[in-house]
Amino acid sequence: MSAANDKNDYLDYTPQTFPAPEPTAEQDRTRIHYLNNENTLRSWLLTVDHKRIGLLYLFSVTFFFLFGGIAAMLVRTNLITPTGAILELDQYNKAFTAHGTIMLFLFLIPVIPGVLGNFLIPMMIGAKDLAFPKLNLLSWYVFMAGASLFVWQLLVGGIDTGWTLYPPYSSKYSQNSILYAGLGIFVTGFSSILTGVNIIATIHKMRAPGMTWGRLPLFCWAMYATSVIQLLGTPVIAVTVVMLAVERVFGVGIFDPNLGGDPILFQHMFWFYSHPAVYIMILPGMGVISEVLTCFARKNIFGYKAVAWSSVGIAVVGFLVWGHHMFISGQGYYLGMVFAFLTMLVAVPSAIKVFNWTATLYGGSITYQAPMIHAIGFIVLFTIGGLTGLYLGTMGTDIHLHDTYFVIAHFHFTMVGGMMFAWQAGLHFWWPKMTGKMYSDFWSRLAAVIMITGFALTFLPQFVVGYLGMPRRYPNYPEEFQFYNIMSTAGASIQGLGYLMPVFYLTASLFFGRPAGNNPFKATGLEWQTQSPPHPHNFETTPAVYFGPYEYGVENGLSIFTNENGDHLPTDTTTPKEGVTSGS
Amino acid sequence: MLAFIQVPPILPPQASQFAIEYDWLFWYITVVCVCAGAVVYGLLTYSCFKFAKREGVRPQRILGSNKLEFIWTIIPLIFFLSFFVWGTKLYNTAIKPTPSELPANAPEYFVVGKQWMWKVQHPTGQREINEITMPIDTPVRVTGTSEDVIHDFGIPAFRTKFDVVPGRYTSAWYHPNKLGTYHLFCDQYCGQGHSQMVGKVHVVSQSDYQEWLSGNMRNTRGELFVDGSPAWEGAKLFQRLGCLGCHNNESESRAPNLEGIAGTYRVVKGGEKVLADRKYIENSIRYPLEHIREGWAPIMPAFTRNLVTQAELIELTAYIMSLKPGDLPSRTESSPPPIGAKMENTLNPSPTPMPEPKKDSEPKKEPEMKK
Repeated sequence: MSAANDKNDYLDYTPQTFPAPEPTAEQDRTRIHYLNNENTLRSWLLTVDHKRIGLLYLFSVTFFFLFGGIAAMLVRTNLITPTGAILELDQYNKAFTAHGTIMLFLFLIPVIPGVLGNFLIPMMIGAKDLAFPKLNLLSWYVFMAGASLFVWQLLVGGIDTGWTLYPPYSSKYSQNSILYAGLGIFVTGFSSILTGVNIIATIHKMRAPGMTWGRLPLFCWAMYATSVIQLLGTPVIAVTVVMLAVERVFGVGIFDPNLGGDPILFQHMFWFYSHPAVYIMILPGMGVISEVLTCFARKNIFGYKAVAWSSVGIAVVGFLVWGHHMFISGQGYYLGMVFAFLTMLVAVPSAIKVFNWTATLYGGSITYQAPMIHAIGFIVLFTIGGLTGLYLGTMGTDIHLHDTYFVIAHFHFTMVGGMMFAWQAGLHFWWPKMTGKMYSDFWSRLAAVIMITGFALTFLPQFVVGYLGMPRRYPNYPEEFQFYNIMSTAGASIQGLGYLMPVFYLTASLFFGRPAGNNPFKATGLEWQTQSPPHPHNFETTPAVYFGPYEYGVENGLSIFTNENGDHLPTDTTTPKEGVTSGS
Repeated sequence: MLAFIQVPPILPPQASQFAIEYDWLFWYITVVCVCAGAVVYGLLTYSCFKFAKREGVRPQRILGSNKLEFIWTIIPLIFFLSFFVWGTKLYNTAIKPTPSELPANAPEYFVVGKQWMWKVQHPTGQREINEITMPIDTPVRVTGTSEDVIHDFGIPAFRTKFDVVPGRYTSAWYHPNKLGTYHLFCDQYCGQGHSQMVGKVHVVSQSDYQEWLSGNMRNTRGELFVDGSPAWEGAKLFQRLGCLGCHNNESESRAPNLEGIAGTYRVVKGGEKVLADRKYIENSIRYPLEHIREGWAPIMPAFTRNLVTQAELIELTAYIMSLKPGDLPSRTESSPPPIGAKMENTLNPSPTPMPEPKKDSEPKKEPEMKK
């Protein structure tokens, strides 16, 4: 490559490495990329290419999202009337359990690490693949094995314990196929661990020359923090479900007080994983938001170090706050105090991130394509989710709000308002890179607005009805709460429509979309400096990194990559040329 | 259909002293959060409009500001810690009330949760199902446990709830200050009928309460209410189950005398000292081998659930807790033997030398709960 390409000579941003030339239409037809390089079923099912595995995850999690969404619609439809519109009590309990378990274990936890993490981490750091490509493929198969157990469990009747599986209900009283669900959690957990190991090793060992920790895109930082949690937390849930199974099958008294066990012990062990797990769900989303906001605001991230280290801070302190789910469970008073205090500390990094994102927009040159609308939606909704979390982390106020719809609204604001919108932002942002095709601008923006509107209408009334005292997991409820429930159900229908739309216009873009080009959003990241869809090995030559990840505000064009004689800068350059500093 | 929908309430009723204190903190957090949200949304809206792309305007290159980072770390932290301090104080009020909030001799209600109903017993012995009647302006304690899975006894109008856990006692206290009927919910998912495990809280005036009590009094002699108390029921059980056969005040008794043990430290096998609280006594009945009193043989049979129900266990424990020196009746030949021990005369029903109850004062059988 040389800097002779006239078209590229002027850029109003500074990519991290020298961009590959845009292929001509002729070249584009004959070019080998990861999608058309071998196209047999075998080549897809036995692929070790991280990009193809990312797509395998994309198809599977989208499928499971559909399942979880159907369950959610059953739940919401049933709640239209105070006596239950369509379901029997037992069916309702199974529906909300299916919604919770599928959305958490088969969608929220794997979605961004599995799809975007797999696809983007090697490209963002300039590597050919993840550190352990075969392990990566294994992780998808393990995930699918675990997911099959979940599906099987649904087919043989479903479980009715709620995703929290509290004993002694789950260990003794519930008559359903809990063992399959437990085994499903156990197996998918291994998939999560394998992905975590792979990403940690990759980020440590596979970075391209010049890709220092200070130049690492924030998505990689967030994924790194996530992977650490996956690695340390997931074994605990595996141990916990094994203990539950031992009690259920062999009658060994671990949690059941009639057998000499302690039901609160289960809650401690369960939340020791499941609280950090909410950070497994949200941290990758926060990483996506940092990438999208900077690109569409044409700005450096405000406070790179603060945003990067707040991810690590959340990952570390997030392990020490599980007891805030148990303030009224009968756990010790002083123990509760410690958890409440640490909860207030873990709220700070999230606040720092929100402030930094908002400040990033200041002084930018903002455009509003679909990914940006989703990202702004994320900030708006996640702020509400974060602030309402303070009510629940405060011991006194949690007493009344615990196990009411206030909690439901709070965690949907973080998990759906946060993670789901981050996922949509990420999917729309990198879709042209994955497929080489651009989707409809109009439909994608419309879908984003519909999703945000529907979401707000669904969950804002639930804060009110929660404060009024409506308990969660109630198919029947007092009549005075009906108004709020009808609003919620109406919002859920609008939301459902919003989530269906991308299925159509993204699929349509594969056949009718215009070619996206290498870098349709003019982003600086390494993944954008190669072709779309990328070469099977991502880059034709190993890229060298010269600049920090978000140099949007410098008007240097490509001249900065060459010296006075027009030669390329040497690849081991860690001191950038005058005028542009690296990272932060 | 919409025409039949009730006008929705905005705020829950505020029917106890604690609810008033609770709402102060709730609205304090709300005000802070609304202000914080206004700051974030204000900046966001400003930036989104002011810095939307314009021809010829280049984005600025701003990397960050340590000063700002410091400010927006410290200010939220200060507010968060204020929530923590106030919230802990409020929680302390809920968990450990001062004697002025809840006197030590405050009446104590017992609540047993089971799939899917609430069984309530008044300090004076009356029982209710899925309803709890309490007098206004009287602080009361409610102690609960569960017969099966974990439930949660929640009263939104009082802003309180607590998990009732099998194998443990948990409690809360209320100081109702507003007449009315309020919701009682089970807030912890407990199975198929979770949403049916609801009831009503009636806060009534003192005179209405007395009337209600007398209407429910089963003692036709018009004696003190206390004759229907859990301890009184427990005394009968103590006789019926043959506890007195071993636990008596004779010199050659086979088991420790239980008079006046409540609240003392008991030396058990291994030298450990254990506080004889309600939990200790209950466990000693259910799982006698857990703690063997130093110097006594482990001969006590375990009284499992099919011999003593959870409700009976509460009564038995209340009786043992109430025993003062000299309270135990003398053992007579007709005192039945302990269950499982080989003794003659097992078929004789026990006479009741304790507070002579009349035949018609036997507790009424609880109505069967319909699904």
